This record gives sequence, C-alpha cells and structure tokens, in this order.
Amino acid sequence: MSQASLYSVSYDLSNLIASALGSILPSGPRAFVTSSDVVTGFAVLIFAVIILAATMINTIMLIWWERKLLGRFMDRRGAMHVGFAGLLQNFADGFKLFRKDTVKPRDADFLGFYFGPTAYMVTSLAIFGILPISSGWDTGALPLTLLLALAIFAFAPLFIFVSAWSSNNKYSLMGGMRSAAQMIAYEVPLLLAVVAVVIVAGSFDLNTIVYEQQNYWFAGPLILALIVFVAAMLAEMERIPFDLPEAEAELVEGWNTEYGGMFFAFFMFTDYLRALVGSVLVVLLFLGGWTLPTWVPSVATSFPLAGIFWFMVKTYLVFGLFVWIRASLPRVRTDQLLRVGWNRMIPLSLLSVFLAAVLVTAKCVPVFGCLPSPGI
Amino acid sequence: MSEMWINMGPQHPMTHGLWNLRVRIDGEVVLDVDPEMGYLHRGIEKISEDRHYNEVVTLMDRTCYVAGLAWEHLYILASEQALHITPPERAEYIRMTCEEFQRIGSHIMWYAAFVNDIGLMTPFLYGMRDRDLILDLYQSFTGARMTYEYMRVGGVRNDLPPTFVPQARKVLDWLTERFREYDQLCLGSSIFHKRCDHLGVLKANDCIAHGITGPMLRSAGVKRDLRKDRPYAQYAAVDFDVAVADGADVTARYLVRMEEMRQSIRILRQTIDWLERHPGPVMADHLPRWLGAPYAPTGREGYLLKRNYAKGLGFSAVEEPHGEAQAYVVNEGSEHPYRVKFRSPVFANLSAARQYLVGYRVADIPPIMGSVDPCIGEVDR
Repeated sequence: MSQASLYSVSYDLSNLIASALGSILPSGPRAFVTSSDVVTGFAVLIFAVIILAATMINTIMLIWWERKLLGRFMDRRGAMHVGFAGLLQNFADGFKLFRKDTVKPRDADFLGFYFGPTAYMVTSLAIFGILPISSGWDTGALPLTLLLALAIFAFAPLFIFVSAWSSNNKYSLMGGMRSAAQMIAYEVPLLLAVVAVVIVAGSFDLNTIVYEQQNYWFAGPLILALIVFVAAMLAEMERIPFDLPEAEAELVEGWNTEYGGMFFAFFMFTDYLRALVGSVLVVLLFLGGWTLPTWVPSVATSFPLAGIFWFMVKTYLVFGLFVWIRASLPRVRTDQLLRVGWNRMIPLSLLSVFLAAVLVTAKCVPVFGCLPSPGI
Repeated sequence: MSEMWINMGPQHPMTHGLWNLRVRIDGEVVLDVDPEMGYLHRGIEKISEDRHYNEVVTLMDRTCYVAGLAWEHLYILASEQALHITPPERAEYIRMTCEEFQRIGSHIMWYAAFVNDIGLMTPFLYGMRDRDLILDLYQSFTGARMTYEYMRVGGVRNDLPPTFVPQARKVLDWLTERFREYDQLCLGSSIFHKRCDHLGVLKANDCIAHGITGPMLRSAGVKRDLRKDRPYAQYAAVDFDVAVADGADVTARYLVRMEEMRQSIRILRQTIDWLERHPGPVMADHLPRWLGAPYAPTGREGYLLKRNYAKGLGFSAVEEPHGEAQAYVVNEGSEHPYRVKFRSPVFANLSAARQYLVGYRVADIPPIMGSVDPCIGEVDR
C-alpha cells in the first residue's frame, strides 16, 4: 500500500460517499454525484474539514496539555473530572461558553466588536491550511508556504487592536495598544530568525526545509536563531513572560475584557491556536519536522502514520517548553519588553542571519564533524 | 492616548479586596492616584459597643481575614487592661504562638498574591499549599480555619491538644525548607529584579511622616518593631531579630517579609518548647461571672447585671503582620465595652498611595500595591 496522504484519504472518502449516494439515487442525480468534477470538489471540501477538525481537536488538546502540565508544575493535578484524566474538560468548558450570552457594551462599535474576534480566529485557522504535517499531509505545491504562514500570522495585531478599540473600554484599549506595539516589535526578529533558516535551507517551502534537515536538525547550527525565534514567538503568542497585553493583574483581561460567551471562547481558542502554530513552526524549522535523524532505527519510523506521530510528539514537547517557561517566569513590563525587542533581539537575529550566511558560504556545518552544508 | 482617569477597583484583580484606586494615566505613566476606601465598612467599632467583651472576639476575626488571631490578640490585650485582668503565662505563650503562626500565614498569603501580581503563577499555588498546613494546625485547636474565635478575656478558649507540638514542629521544618524555594523562585530570577528593584520607593522620612508602619517602614531601614520596642505578652522573653532592609523598594519589602517569616519560625520554636515544658491553666482565675461563663448573658438579663464593676481604660498596640495595630477600649463598668477604637496599619499604608505610585507605570501598580499588602477588611472595619 502506498503512503496515505491527505489528498488520497479525502479523495477516497469522497468516492465512497459518491458511490453510496449513487446506489440509492435515481440515474439522473446519480450521474451528477459520481461525475469526477463533483467527486473532486467534494474531496477538497472533505480535505478542508479534516484540517479544520484536526486543528480544532489539537488546539483543545493543547489546552488540556497545558492545564495538566501547569498543574504538575504547581503541585496539583489539573483537570481531573470530565473524561479520563480530564481529557474532555475543555470540551465541557467550550460548550458552556457556547451556551452563554455575548454582552455587547452599549457604546461599543458593532462592526468592530464582532468582526475583530471573528477575523482573529479565522485568519489564525487559515494558517493550518498550509502547514505540512507529514510527507503527503499538506496542501502541497506552494513554493512560499513559510512566507505565507508568517504573513497570515502577522495579521493578528490589527484584529486585536480593532476589537480592543471598538470595545470602548479603557483597559481593552491599553491592552490593544500594548499588543500592537509588542507584536510589531517582535515581528522583526521573528522574521529575521526565519531568514537564517531560509538561507541555510535555500527555500521558503516548508517541505523542503524539513527535508533539508534529514542529516541534522537546524536547531544545532542555528541555535541562536532558534533562541531568538522561540523568544519572539513567546511574545507573538502573548504568553508569560510576555503576556502583558492581557496582564490580568493590572488590565483585568487586557484587550478581551469586554468579551463574553462565544467571543471570549474565540479569543481563548485563537490564543492556543497561535501557540500551536508557534510550536509547529519551531518543529518544522528547527527540529526536523516529521523526520527523525537517519541513525534512528527504522522501526521507529516505519509504522503507519509515523510521520504524524513524531510530528505531534515534537509539537507537544515544544509546547511543553512554553508551558514550563510560563510556570517559572514573572511577567516583564511593556517598556522593558520593547527595549529588549528592539535593542537585543534584532541585533541577535541579525547576527544569526550572518552566521547562517557564513555556514552556507563555508559549505560546512561544524556540528558533528564537518557535514556538507545543505541548500547549495 | 491622552490623559485619562481609570478606576482600578472596587472589583479589579489588583485590589486584593474591595477598594478603589483611581489612577490618572498618560499612556502607561501614572500621573496621579486617589485611593478610595470604605466599600467594606461594617461598623465593627459601633457593633462592639453592643456586645459583651468576649463576643467582640467574633468581630475581630472579620477585621483582617488573613490575620484574625493577631486582631483578636490586639483586642483582648486592650480589654484585659480595661477590665484589670491578668491572663496566665501559658495563655500568653499560646497567644504568641497563634500570632506568630498568623504572621507566617499572612506573609505567605501576601507572597502568593504578590507573585501572582507580577505574573508568577507557580509560587502562588506553592504559597497556598504551605499556608494550608498552618490552617490545618489552627483547625486542630480552634476548630476553624479562618474565623477562629479562640481568644478570651483572661486567657484562651481551650488548651492545645497533645498533637499540637509535634505537628507544629513538622510544619516549621517544612516551611523552613520551602522558604528557600520561595527565594529561588523570586530572587533567583533576573526578571523579578527587573520588575521590583527601585520600584515604589518610599524613604524612611516619608514613611514616618505618613504614619506607615510594619514591613514597609522596616524596608526603609527603620528598625522599629513593637514586639521589641514595646513588648507585650511574653515577647520580652523570646529571642529574635527585627528584620530590616534599606532599599525602601518592592524588593526590600519582599526581603523584610521573608526574613520576618524566618524570625517568626525562630520565635515559634522557642514558644513551642516552652509550651511543651509548662502545662497549666489557660484561663485566669477570679474572672467576673459574666466573663467566665461560656455564654455571657444577653438581652434583659445582661442589662440587669451591669453597672457594678470597676471601670478602666485599655490600650494595646500589636505588631500585626501588616504593621502596628492599636486598640483602645473604654470600660464604663458594664459588661459591654463603652467604646472600642482601632487603628489599622493598612489604612495609613494605603492612604499614602500617592507617595509611592506616582511616576511609575501602570504595570508597576500591581507589584507596588502587592508589596504594601493591603487587607481591606481591617482598613474599613
């Protein structure tokens, strides 16, 4: 059996549904539903639904993972009661929020108030349409996936600011201001760190970047870029120590103070969605994606869906690192954050770009002996 | 953004209680603040005039909800002076034990809330976990975890159970270990120093001018502690140092409070040793009939009994976890105090908010206010 891919799975499903429908429908509609155009179109729809469902379930599992991990760090057990070890707790919380009313402040701007969170979530979800998960499990054929993903990722400050401003609340406005300043400041080192990866890999295509890491992970030679990327990603994800836009001690809940019910759930969900994007990008860019180093015995990579399995393991471990940071660091202040961003992170990321260029020019990666530099 | 006033409170995560801090800000910079108290006023001083002496103890637990026993101690000391009663020595040691445990409990509560204000979530849970041990200890001899109603005029309600001494020693050993961990989590973090050093500075002169007492005053380098300067109960008999620091900032207040907890452990080891070696009565002999009774007569019966006792005035000052609390009790010869007046240290500490908040940033307000350790129950009473 050939390697199952996202396309083949959704196409097979679409075929299955079409033939099942065809067996019960009269000949006129039957010809329509079994025609290749309809089957292909339906396959694309299934394809999208699979991505959406997988993303959502993983995001919710990520919340569970954080709650459990954070609980252990704090000497408690985390969610325990709904489902096995609290696995279904977040679904319960989500349904509770779904049933709740969203109260719009009287003087809030209608369009901005509802458009902001929706766009925030939708754009963040869109990133997963282009992130590869394993070989064949991607939309494929896009040469600039990395650039596109980061471009969509950078939409967020706009929507956060729109929803914060339209809430007509002083705390929201301050949170929105902080969020915009922070995200813009950390967008630059984030992209520069990515540039280092791109220089070494020689491509903006995430598939190529992953396959360039067959011999060694970029985390080795590009350790500086990795550090800058993780720190900038923490700021982009607005997690402790960089969670000042929603610093609950002074800003109540920051830019989503006025939101309740499902729109609050949108924000919460999207925060974790972006955390998932961050973890996935770290895995893809620096930790070899779904591949394992070649010296790993093949039994670890030959079982079905091994790529997805290892990809998930790495993603959750990287997110575990973010949780660990959250459990052990205090929050910094806005001016300190921005000073670090402009004065330290950008020079460091420029240095990492320079180092990457040296690596490529020297055609030698001094990690384990002298391995041939990729991407040339 | 132009200048604007924002209300931090009365329901805001920073407030740790029910009060309102009005802040005028320009962007992130604090231009002016205006603390507003009074949301939690219950008229405890007035209610006290209608109650028997021992019934007021119930209200004292409601003043500061994290240091109820310290306030009970304060009130009881003043009433005993007003009623010309001397408690037995063992009762005094038990009260000291209570107060020092209360100080540790209150400071741990402060630690938990304070680190949460600067975004450290883990130590918050650690603090709550460790404070629970102290609450368990209280439960073993008062039966309650928060509103103890344990002290009585002339002594304490009941003696300590035999399990108390070993359990208390175990708790103290555990806490000694944990305080090291607390310091690692805070002082070991450079972000903590970035956030807290040179923040909320209030020099010794300003502290004295505004009547600020307690850890805030000692953090400015003033070595003042009522347990040393005006010893009450048996504090003169125990050996301890006054914790001082000289930064006058948030970090200094942190250091003072952590050192105070260590000194409290030192005091507690001495008092527990004493209590182990000296069994005896915990209530004074020859109490007035209405005081010694488990339930003092109330209503008409109570009024018929009155107006035959010696009059007196009572004043007490106690180094409460938050600062110097003072009480004044007037005994006009009835079984109700004629007038009760308290001086809350936190009221003075909070009132000076303008002195230590203006000029810093909005993000600095929670750590600074956290370092003040407000307990609104005793501010408003």
